Amino acid sequence: MTQLIKARSGEITKNMRIVAEQEGVSPEYIREMVALGQIVILGNKTRKNVKPCGVGKGLSTKVNANIGNSPDCGGFEDELIKLRTAEKAGAHAFMELSSGANIDQFRRQALAATELPVGTVTIYQAGVESIEKYGSVVEMDVEYMFELIERHAADGVDFMAVHAALNMDVIERLKRQGRVTDIVSRGGSFLTGWMLHNNKENPYYEQFDRILEIAKKYDVVLSIGDAIRPGCIADSMDRAQMQGLILVGELVQRALEAGVQVMVEGPGHVPSDQIPATVLLQKQLCHKVPYYMLGNLVTDIAPGYDHITAAIGAHIAAAAGADFICYVTPAEHLRLPNAEDVHEGVIATRLACHAADIVKKVPGAWEWDLKMAKARKALDWKQQIALAIDPDRAAKVRSERNDKDSEACSMCGGHCAMKIVSQYLGTAVNNC
Amino acid sequence: MTQVKQARLGNVTPEMSEVAKQEGVDEAVILQGVAQGTIVIPANVKRPHKNVGIGKGLTTKVSASIGTARGSTAYEAELEKLACAIQTGAHTIMDLSIGGDLDFTRREIISRCNSPIGTLPIYQTFTEITDKSNALDMTEEDFFKVMEKQAQDGVDFMGLHCAMTLKTLEVAKKQGRLHDVVSWGGSLLAGWMLYHGKENPLYTNYDRILDIAQRYDITVSLADGLRPGCIFDSLDRAQVQEMIFLGELVDRAREAEVQIQIKGPGHAPLSHLKTTVKLMKQVCKEAPYFIFGPVVSDIAPGYDHITAAIGAAISASFGVDFICYVTPAEHVGFPSLEDVRTGVITSLLAAHIGDLEKGHKKAWDWELAMDKARNPWDEATQKQIALDPTKLGASSNMEGSYQCTKCGAKCAKKVLAEYFGKPISYC
Repeated sequence: MTQLIKARSGEITKNMRIVAEQEGVSPEYIREMVALGQIVILGNKTRKNVKPCGVGKGLSTKVNANIGNSPDCGGFEDELIKLRTAEKAGAHAFMELSSGANIDQFRRQALAATELPVGTVTIYQAGVESIEKYGSVVEMDVEYMFELIERHAADGVDFMAVHAALNMDVIERLKRQGRVTDIVSRGGSFLTGWMLHNNKENPYYEQFDRILEIAKKYDVVLSIGDAIRPGCIADSMDRAQMQGLILVGELVQRALEAGVQVMVEGPGHVPSDQIPATVLLQKQLCHKVPYYMLGNLVTDIAPGYDHITAAIGAHIAAAAGADFICYVTPAEHLRLPNAEDVHEGVIATRLACHAADIVKKVPGAWEWDLKMAKARKALDWKQQIALAIDPDRAAKVRSERNDKDSEACSMCGGHCAMKIVSQYLGTAVNNC
Repeated sequence: MTQVKQARLGNVTPEMSEVAKQEGVDEAVILQGVAQGTIVIPANVKRPHKNVGIGKGLTTKVSASIGTARGSTAYEAELEKLACAIQTGAHTIMDLSIGGDLDFTRREIISRCNSPIGTLPIYQTFTEITDKSNALDMTEEDFFKVMEKQAQDGVDFMGLHCAMTLKTLEVAKKQGRLHDVVSWGGSLLAGWMLYHGKENPLYTNYDRILDIAQRYDITVSLADGLRPGCIFDSLDRAQVQEMIFLGELVDRAREAEVQIQIKGPGHAPLSHLKTTVKLMKQVCKEAPYFIFGPVVSDIAPGYDHITAAIGAAISASFGVDFICYVTPAEHVGFPSLEDVRTGVITSLLAAHIGDLEKGHKKAWDWELAMDKARNPWDEATQKQIALDPTKLGASSNMEGSYQCTKCGAKCAKKVLAEYFGKPISYC
């Protein structure tokens, strides 16, 4: 039984209560939204150590961090450091995206190492192992592709990206469209290569019911997308993307009918004026299920700064209704991120989401800002640092180029507006 | 030679010059817009008339639909509506007759109209076949005979449901809509397709359509057979699926150097308008968008000229180029002459509001002229420039005068006028 089926039957589960408490909303609200499919609760029912996490309407916008090795680098130690860094920076979930050696082992270690929900993309493993074994991704074995989904689910993976919304029709549309960057999703490119080489329909699409069965058995949240997502802002909102989204919507409908929790993955690269339209279209075409977006990156010219281009897009997307944001690090489009990149990526994404939560009227978001404003007015540095989204960073910067006992900061020194006005108006100044 | 072909060769046609002059823009702007397909000038080579440009950078245009009802032969009433619509300011006319002698009616309308005229050839095709037997007996040849005949008569733009494919119907079925297919021509055509298990002949024979369009320089006005019929169905998978096909057909028309615009909804909640327009402009690569309202609420029969004007004004501000009017008779009955007049006025108003947001100088100049004519009060000028001059002077209490004696020397208006150094305005 999934959370969705239980919610429909009127049951308020333990996980629903936990999420309600975290979010400061009523358990009945969570139940109602889970029943409608507008909230999902990440938490594989066979995984013992997971802290369930709610994603969707009326909840705070969640941040996902990616870890995982690549064929070129990384042992688990490196990834564990990143995982701890992301946890400390406040990520709500991980995706374990290893595509190098020992993928099974990496995944199991990651699942054991954290209490946060973990997501995977099984096609990566299928593709990588096919290359190792047969020399090419086009040799992927269909039965093995499904076996991997079951294996990941049995290991306790909480959400899974499945590239089911890709079929020959979408590829044909893509061809007629004439894109700049064709397909940039790694899973999407594996599958497209396989489909065209074998002249066969996408097995995930054709046998979607098998995926639904596994998801239902373990209560894995399916994350459907985004094989055909645009790879640059010039390709955004084109016919191929729309054809993919229509297919996603039909699969969402089937998942909901089957009682499987489902969300939708989205782009990627979107010029800022198209972000609200992209979000609205996803919500309209996909029965208002949660939207899990990557970025969005609102420009393509800033490698090294894509945590910023993505934070701008993430803010607009979340404010327009996106529920879950996959972080982007400064290493995006350049290399595999290191721990410092992970930290920057999580913080940038969190602040973008928080700024959106303020306008989404998520409980607690506005109050957090108000506390900070009051601490600033009071020149209460201890509080300001404690309230900061990254207290270590705030404390470190504060300690530089400031007299230790100064009430103000060295931006204005003795000309601190807060201080002067407080003295003038006779409002208290809190020495720190 | 089509306007597109001429434009791509770099030739400024008389039609382009005429449009450039009307719009107060450079001929090069029109030339480039027509060449790229962001502007159309519906002008059948068989029939010279006053030309109208529709598209990017131009003022928003309004089309009025007239035509006999099913079973009616009263074409004279439609000729009166034609005269009324043109006099009120409609930029184009659509003849949607489905009653009486359709060839005769159309030719009467064409002979009395110096503006671009549009039709939906499938209307005549289905009307004539249902007069004889049954819509399901329609053949492809029936359709093409009508299309060619209407082209010969000088029709400038034609509504064609080419993008309503079997796939879009399948997507609509899976979607589960409240209103499946609400377009009249679209629903008959869809019934024909499903009955015969055949693909839409207007889709499979699209090249033949383009060929006719090319010979007469007919502007293809692709109709949205799957347009939502209520605000609940707006922006669903069926609508977006059809839009994908529309976009592909735009590409093919442009390759064939045929002028093309896209028809849009219909019914849409306010929050969907921006996305609807943006999506269409993306998917159809900036082709002119010809939108039917949209009405932004479904609960106001008798007032749908207003629900549509709200939708049209906002859509136009987001880039819609051409508005099909909606009259107070929409969803209620057959429009009267007064309904036509009201429909045209309200749509012109919506188009103008859109033009203000689009930043058209002409639109702002018009506003400024009216605002100046209100202070100091200048009723003659107001009457001259008002959207509907008949509304002015009807009520005597609007007359401004500063011979008012009510407040005597303690006139607040007078104090104010002295303070700003301007003549006193009405009280």
